[in-house]
Amino acid sequence: MRPLTGLLTGVAITVLALPAFARDVTIDLTGEPSSLDPHMQWNPDSYYVYRNIFDNVVTRDNDGAIVPQIATEWNYASETELVLTIRDGVTFHDGEPLTAEDVAFSVNRIIDPEFGSPQLGQFNQIEMAEVMEGNKVKLTTKGPYPALLAQLVKLSVVPQHIVEEVGKDAFNEAPVGSGPYSFEDWNRGVSVTLAKNDSYWGEDGPFDNAVFRAVPDAATRIANLQAGTADLVVGLDSDGAMQLAGNPAVKALSTPTERVAFMGMNLDKPPFSDPELRRAASLAIDSVAIAEGLLGAGEVPMAQLSSPAHFGYAPDIAPFEYDPEQAAEIVASKSEMAATPATFATAPVFDQRVVQALQQMLNDVGFNISISMTDMPTYLAAARAPDRAERPELNFGRWSCACQDADGIAYPLLHSGSSWSRVSNAELDALLEEARTSLDENVRLAAYEKVHQIVRDDYLVRPIYQAAVLYGARAELEFEPTANESMFLNRMSWSE
Amino acid sequence: MLRFLLQRGGQALVAVFGVVTLVFFIQRLTGDPVLLLVPETATEQDIEAMRVSLGLDRPLGVQYVEFLFDMLRLDLGRSFVQNAQVWDILLSRIPQTLQLAAGALVVALLIGLPLGLIMALTRGRAISRAIMGLVLAFQSLPTFWSGIMMILVFGVWLKWLPPSGTGTLAHLVMPSIALGLLSLATYARIMRSAVIDELGKDYVRSARARGVTTGRLVRRHLLRNSSIPVISITALELSQLLAGAVIVETVFAWPGLGLLTVQSIASRDFMVVQAVVLLGAFVTIAANLAADILYTVVDPRVRLTGKA
Repeated sequence: MRPLTGLLTGVAITVLALPAFARDVTIDLTGEPSSLDPHMQWNPDSYYVYRNIFDNVVTRDNDGAIVPQIATEWNYASETELVLTIRDGVTFHDGEPLTAEDVAFSVNRIIDPEFGSPQLGQFNQIEMAEVMEGNKVKLTTKGPYPALLAQLVKLSVVPQHIVEEVGKDAFNEAPVGSGPYSFEDWNRGVSVTLAKNDSYWGEDGPFDNAVFRAVPDAATRIANLQAGTADLVVGLDSDGAMQLAGNPAVKALSTPTERVAFMGMNLDKPPFSDPELRRAASLAIDSVAIAEGLLGAGEVPMAQLSSPAHFGYAPDIAPFEYDPEQAAEIVASKSEMAATPATFATAPVFDQRVVQALQQMLNDVGFNISISMTDMPTYLAAARAPDRAERPELNFGRWSCACQDADGIAYPLLHSGSSWSRVSNAELDALLEEARTSLDENVRLAAYEKVHQIVRDDYLVRPIYQAAVLYGARAELEFEPTANESMFLNRMSWSE
Repeated sequence: MLRFLLQRGGQALVAVFGVVTLVFFIQRLTGDPVLLLVPETATEQDIEAMRVSLGLDRPLGVQYVEFLFDMLRLDLGRSFVQNAQVWDILLSRIPQTLQLAAGALVVALLIGLPLGLIMALTRGRAISRAIMGLVLAFQSLPTFWSGIMMILVFGVWLKWLPPSGTGTLAHLVMPSIALGLLSLATYARIMRSAVIDELGKDYVRSARARGVTTGRLVRRHLLRNSSIPVISITALELSQLLAGAVIVETVFAWPGLGLLTVQSIASRDFMVVQAVVLLGAFVTIAANLAADILYTVVDPRVRLTGKA
């Protein structure tokens, strides 16, 4: 090596290596946060950002276990009362201490119907929160509520003194929390900038500043990553991952999430009122081809309305068989009913590749399915029409309850009292209610296993796959994606 | 002249009223906005509570009258999703879109008009056909493709320009070109046919016979006489640019009204979507009114007869 080249290489290495210690991070999201007040919207673009500004009552570690955050301990005083012990020595970004009053205030704020939080449905089982002696808070629920802790993972603690002083709008524009990063600036439509909180009580982050930008086009996000103007980008599909594969400076990261994709069938009218034809439909669907061939971003075929990321997952439920010949035989034996024209309702937000593949697989064995694509409100109104016979024969859904508990998906889809359900089965109702109200984990697990088995045996709903989330990142950024799609800056780092 | 202005102004007001009414009812026709605001696992009670808290449980007529009064007071309401006044959200985005539209117009006019003029003056020759081919290519390239190609070449590969975002003049270059290409093609074609029209007229022949040079002919006569179609096209192009901005702003993450529209649709923010639609309609109506008035300045005959 010539001396000059050697010198230049040395300089280049130094220059490239130096910023790695305190380098800022730029993250491209699909849109800007709707809200930075954590008690308002809970869409991913919002919570990716505000979960770094705020601490939550409890949190999940990267393996999905519920672990302490602001609450250091919790125990049930009775079936409907949970007592939380609040962590000492936590301060908000303005220097004021975080107290039990702030925690109780936060709970009571989000459950107040007047406040109008879109997250109300996740917390409305809580009746009230009261401050107790010794830095404790008591939560009272309307009945025994086993999913309470899973819901508290999403409940951020806001400072009572600031929220009451400045009001809802001003707090949204300049949020103050106690998290590892503090709010710096919100350039509307462009980006939100956070700065490291040097006096954070827990593990602090590796970046001095973090910039979350709104970049709606996936191809542009990939270009930004490849040009080096972004360090982490969200919302890629398998095509995007392939584009990254040839470039050693970047990498794709993926993990299965708690979203479960399923095909809903209308049990109240032909052809899917006939259990044999439902079985034929199931036999015609190749879940593996859809999950691994068509989507291929890490999706996992599923045979139940939950996933390994949920409490209530039953590992012993057998996968669905794929046997199009047998499906065609069943359809041929009931050709008149099977030929009933059936509508597959869908809306632009769903992955049309999957809907079209399902239609093709079903028509190949002799069904007569046509796709009806409408805007979202029309789709929703049709799929949950009060008269079940008016609902479409088929619909596609990809659901998450953001609580990683089987209750969140199984109850609304299967309980006869829910507006989404097409099922009326007394045994299922009893099992779902038992699982929803028991605090005994073993009772709940046993009930859900039975629920999943009934759904599997009678083909009441056809689960298809567990959805995955795919990110693109600089090769040197260490980031472990989680099932609940969190993006905690203080769990990332730069590798050397 | 006054009668002409009153007549055109009155027509514009009727159009505005029609748009406001249409927007209100179409939005109600497309379904229940409350279903979009709550998570899909929400129960009937959650949905009903949300409907009451937004005032959407009241009779349609009451809501319509209230909506009309809000519009009279220029009150666009509040975004339930973003927790902010819709006006504040719009105002933060309008300058960005104006910047981009201006950039695109500059690209389109500075390149499109000369190209059209050259095509007209060299009609029938190879150079005219070559330019026409280029112009047709500009017109046919979909923005989402040409935009991404520019990003890949100038942003990722050559690293001359930032791939996306805003802040500096360099950020404005690629989005302006992407947005301006279609208008550029339109201007070139309109300019070409307008100049060709003029070239066939008697005064041109007489001027030529008197020995007037082409350069003087263009400067003194052709430019002014071909400007009427260019002005009316500019009014149309403004709404084209607003519509095109939806795609260009999305591709380049440019924080204007187009990107706001896309984000608001994605986040189910119907108050903002409604405001953007209204604003777009107002701009189109206002631009057409302005064009009508401009004709009278350029062509005095319009003032007298009310039509060109």
